[in-house]
Amino acid sequence: VDILDKPALFSESIEKLRAALLSGLFALVLVVWVFPLRAESLVSREEALAAIFPGATFKSERIFLSEKEQRDVAKLARAEVPSALWARYLVFSNGKEIGRAYVDTHVVRTKKESLLICLDEQGNVKRIEVTAFLEPPDYRASSRWYEQYYGKPLSNDLNLQRAIRPIAGATLTATATNNAVRRVLAIDHLLRQNPARGKLP
Amino acid sequence: MKQGFWGLQAWRRGAPLVILLALRIVVLPQGVRAGSEEDGIRTKLQQLEERLKQLEQQSATASSKGSAEAGQTKSPAIEELRQQLDILAAEVEKLRSGERLVEVTSEQVRSMGLAPSAAATYRKERGVSIAGYGQMLYENFKGANERGEPSSEGSQLDFLRAILYAGYRFNDKFVFNSEIEVEHTDEVSLEFAYVDYLANPHLTLRGGLLLMPMGLINEYHEPNVFLGNSRPETERRIIPSTWSEGGFGVLGSAGKFNYRAYVVNGLNATGFSSDGLRAGRQGGGEAKATNLALVGRLDVAPTPGVFFGGSVFTGNSGQGQFVVDGSKLGVRTTIGEVHAQAQIRGFDFRGLYARASLDDVADLNTALNLTGSDSIGKTQQGGYLQFGYNVLSQSSEKMQLTPFYRFEKLNTQHEVPVGFSADPTRHQTFHTFGFEFKPIHNIVVKTDYQWTRNSAKTGLNQFNIGLGYAF
Repeated sequence: VDILDKPALFSESIEKLRAALLSGLFALVLVVWVFPLRAESLVSREEALAAIFPGATFKSERIFLSEKEQRDVAKLARAEVPSALWARYLVFSNGKEIGRAYVDTHVVRTKKESLLICLDEQGNVKRIEVTAFLEPPDYRASSRWYEQYYGKPLSNDLNLQRAIRPIAGATLTATATNNAVRRVLAIDHLLRQNPARGKLP
Repeated sequence: MKQGFWGLQAWRRGAPLVILLALRIVVLPQGVRAGSEEDGIRTKLQQLEERLKQLEQQSATASSKGSAEAGQTKSPAIEELRQQLDILAAEVEKLRSGERLVEVTSEQVRSMGLAPSAAATYRKERGVSIAGYGQMLYENFKGANERGEPSSEGSQLDFLRAILYAGYRFNDKFVFNSEIEVEHTDEVSLEFAYVDYLANPHLTLRGGLLLMPMGLINEYHEPNVFLGNSRPETERRIIPSTWSEGGFGVLGSAGKFNYRAYVVNGLNATGFSSDGLRAGRQGGGEAKATNLALVGRLDVAPTPGVFFGGSVFTGNSGQGQFVVDGSKLGVRTTIGEVHAQAQIRGFDFRGLYARASLDDVADLNTALNLTGSDSIGKTQQGGYLQFGYNVLSQSSEKMQLTPFYRFEKLNTQHEVPVGFSADPTRHQTFHTFGFEFKPIHNIVVKTDYQWTRNSAKTGLNQFNIGLGYAF
């Protein structure tokens, strides 16, 4: 029977299809509710560091920037420096420093985001992990978007609409992230020039 | 039904503001408390820093006097203060970070000089999220149409919309988000309000008043996101942006793919006209839900800044309201669209094509007393291509100046049923050229000129200036 020739039968089939879809969706809801595939969680700093630098050891320290250093960083990064206090992790392997990581906390729209920005030995971006995101998840950037930064040093080209492409519908997240990466690269540049600077007395 | 000041209608219109106010009253104190805790720790940190300096000065003075005894007794005190300072600096930095869980041991709590209840702020992370946007538009219409006939449209200044987003994160899994809108300064409505269950990175369950995931504008309609003062007409009349309906569904992403699929209440055919489907939106308020609809979207993002995809909405719009020859009209309504967007090194390209097809249009016209060229379009279609370039993209990090051009064609009566005719004014072509300037990413000033042509030669050009903000 060609149901297209019989409107009533066609309509009935559509209703059945709709009922099946609704039932399937309801079943999916139940399954996911009861058996979540994997809890979404933002990684902790320690988890991220261990995954990015496997087998390495870490030294955690707090950096205090002077007012002049904050101004210098802002000038180099072309981004505001919201705090004098920074968390830094030095990464060692076989007694040799192989990288560094910084935590940059900033406001996206009205709420905070924290990024763990890992650098390689030369000061290029190695990896970015989101450790806190208090805005609605819709505004969060995908991990693929962060990959644009990997391997890149601080340069004039490291900006949105240049080497970095924006995020459709999340302009403010992209802007905040770009400022954070530039800020961390500038701080790292400054501290590498004077490794003894900035540490707790 | 007569509605008094405290009538149902007034309550519905005021409900979003009441919800927002309640959220502020109930939830905001947590944020305020978190802020005061942070301030308290900062004060404590400053006190310790001052105390450390004093001790160091005393130590230096004692050393200069050759008092070895004094130096030996003060060194442990300085070391202890250094440790306390380091702990506090770590805690301040962690608190600032907003990270979910800061494990604070009882020992640390004591060392910070905090009562256990005060330290509870560190152990949980919840919070209200507030954001918003707004747009003001000045429109100046040309004094005569294509034929040279005088027009009385004149000019208009309208504060189109002021919006507040209010969201709340209940815990790791449940998130509420909403958009409360004031349009034209006096019309309050709820644009969307939904609860998300974040099952995993690839799957979120969503229920509530949902934005239909169609086109390039409907879900991302902030003025600093789209070029031009006015949204493309295809995304106003065929995809009736901003369009929300009540329902539930799933969304998520996997690699290069993003998807959404919802079951929602259908459109209401009572509002359809020769001008498109826009008035068929129900917006979730006492919406007729005799007929449900399905809407789905799939996007592919091969590389950051570039994506393409499509979406389909299908469902009956009769809602059991029209009976012809003893049977109810279904008025199946299917809207499909394909789109693409690319933003690379200051270039901004967007394109979209949308088509709607409706069943039972002849009978629906009869039921709605529509005759001749007032017929609802049996098929409707439109599309646009848009190109812009931020001329400051390679020289400025903050400012943007983007000239753009958009070409658009629209026909809301592409096909009409036998016995009806098409209104030539519904077959339109638009050329829009303009600039937008963003002194910072959150604020945009736009100006553009739109040439409007139609088959009846009654198109009316207009000049627009707008101001928008988003935070």
